[in-house]
Amino acid sequence: MDFQLSEEQQLIIQTVRRFIRDEIRPLEADLDPDAYELPEAEYERLVAMTREMGLYQMEVPVEFGGPGVDIVTRTLVAEELSQHRAGLYDAAYGVFGDSPPAQLYACTPAQREKYLDPFLRGERHAFFGLSEPSGGSDPARAIQTRGVRDGDDWVINGGKLWTSHADTSDFGVLYVRTDPTKGRQGITAFIVDTDTPGFQVARLVQVLRAHYTTELTFTDMRVPHENILGEEGGGFALANDQLARNRIPYAAACTGIAVWSNELAVDWAKQRVTFGEPLANRQAIQWMLVDNEIDIRSGRWAALQAADLSQRGEPFRFESSMAKLLCTEGAGRVIDRCMQIFGGLGMSKDLPLERFYREVRIRRIGEGPSEVQRIVMARDILNVRSGS
Amino acid sequence: MPLRKPWTVWDDSVSSKSIPGAMGVYELADEHQQLLYIGKAGGRSPFGIRGELFRHFSTSERLAAENWTHPRMGEDLPAIAGRARYFRYEVNHQYYSRWIELLTRHNEDYGTLPPANLQDPEQPPRLGRYHWKSEGL
Ligand SMILES: Cc1cc2nc3c(=O)[nH]c(=O)nc-3n(C[C@H](O)[C@H](O)[C@H](O)COP(=O)(O)OP(=O)(O)OC[C@H]3O[C@@H](n4cnc5c(N)ncnc54)[C@H](O)[C@@H]3O)c2cc1C
Repeated sequence: MDFQLSEEQQLIIQTVRRFIRDEIRPLEADLDPDAYELPEAEYERLVAMTREMGLYQMEVPVEFGGPGVDIVTRTLVAEELSQHRAGLYDAAYGVFGDSPPAQLYACTPAQREKYLDPFLRGERHAFFGLSEPSGGSDPARAIQTRGVRDGDDWVINGGKLWTSHADTSDFGVLYVRTDPTKGRQGITAFIVDTDTPGFQVARLVQVLRAHYTTELTFTDMRVPHENILGEEGGGFALANDQLARNRIPYAAACTGIAVWSNELAVDWAKQRVTFGEPLANRQAIQWMLVDNEIDIRSGRWAALQAADLSQRGEPFRFESSMAKLLCTEGAGRVIDRCMQIFGGLGMSKDLPLERFYREVRIRRIGEGPSEVQRIVMARDILNVRSGS
Repeated sequence: MPLRKPWTVWDDSVSSKSIPGAMGVYELADEHQQLLYIGKAGGRSPFGIRGELFRHFSTSERLAAENWTHPRMGEDLPAIAGRARYFRYEVNHQYYSRWIELLTRHNEDYGTLPPANLQDPEQPPRLGRYHWKSEGL
């Protein structure tokens, strides 16, 4: 087992680290503390830089025109990219390029031309619509949005909840029950244009983070059969590995904000004097810093192990769930301790900690809640399969 | 969801103590209660909603007489200056996404932002679509 990073990996990490420190963090001094987009001119300037660096759209597989950065390196980079105020959900404000919903890589050549390629060129935006008011943890049973075949079209009725970015997207991947008799095999994924008659954003749903999600309704929305992504009834078979793989950099991003929070807390503990001594001299504070380091490192190693297994083509689903759990929950604990070390300042919008605190809480729910990750791991341990 | 609170007319009897210093969103309207501006009192706003409303409606002299000042006093946008007559607000810790929600709703209903928001140097992020208009429009 080799824990040494390659020269190329070290170079990429240093480049990204410098970019975040020199280009992104200074801009945030003038932005609203909850901002999640850069002014357009800054965005364009920085995209030109990341393209020049050869790091634009790192997550896109090489066969779709990406630079072919491997998953271990992407995991290391994800930890660097999130280390600024908006970094957890809007890493580097998207100047390294956005990723499409992973299922879209299962598109046909015609779908690729119409949807995926324009997305990758930054011309069109997309959402991912799986969760419904009836539940998101167990979508195979919960999905009630119904599609009925009518000639060359499907007529879709129902609704989705928590769909991020649907209001600003041009199209999305929508999970629909097309055969109510077949359980999991009765769910089909469709590509749906948001200007299709019958598609509505019922409301923007305000949540803990700076960005909102949406609630959607579909009323007699006609979608052509050719917009099925993958097989009819094969919605859940789509890009499963890709999804589990994406969970790894998602987890590492949480470690990133924990790392930066901890750096801020270490500096503060050395400076801040109470009762005649720096906080850093107090064992109560030292132990918090040690616990932070333990949470950070265990999350990091779990994510890297999952990435390494995936890269070598070995089973990695258990490890990716474990990484998701350790990184999201560990980062929450780290940020909480850092806020405690900063005292009142830790509660204020002068520091990024309060934003991290709100946003990292959502990470225990999104991309499969902690309990669902435990279910995945328990199945693996007990070697049982999902029922339906 | 739009702000549903009734408009309050601004006059000298509005006391700074009656307006919260918290973060949130607010709206300004002209004498016909036509919306002029959707604003936010964000994390960097020195006196929260109170500060924002007073900087739009009040004078440096009045603030000085009450022993306070606002760094953006007198910087009002042309569509607000001398025209704003009514206000309403909502205390909201999620002021940023709520601000965007109000702007998105207005943009969908009227095809444009309120007049003073068009002049505002702080432009919102890319706004989304609802694909439906509010009742009665
Ligand atoms: C900010 C935000 C953005 C989101 N963006 C999207 C998006 O873009 N697209 C999308 O499709 N979804 C999105 N979601 C939805 C998210 O994926 C779901 O909230 C999540 O899957 C949980 O589903 P639920 O909220 O319906 O909770 P439920 O499924 O009702 O579960 C409730 C709780 O019970 C726990 N639980 C469930 N089953 C068990 C069990 N067997 N044993 C023990 N505990 C259990 C869950 O872990 C959870 O804590 C988003 C959510 C949020 C908050």
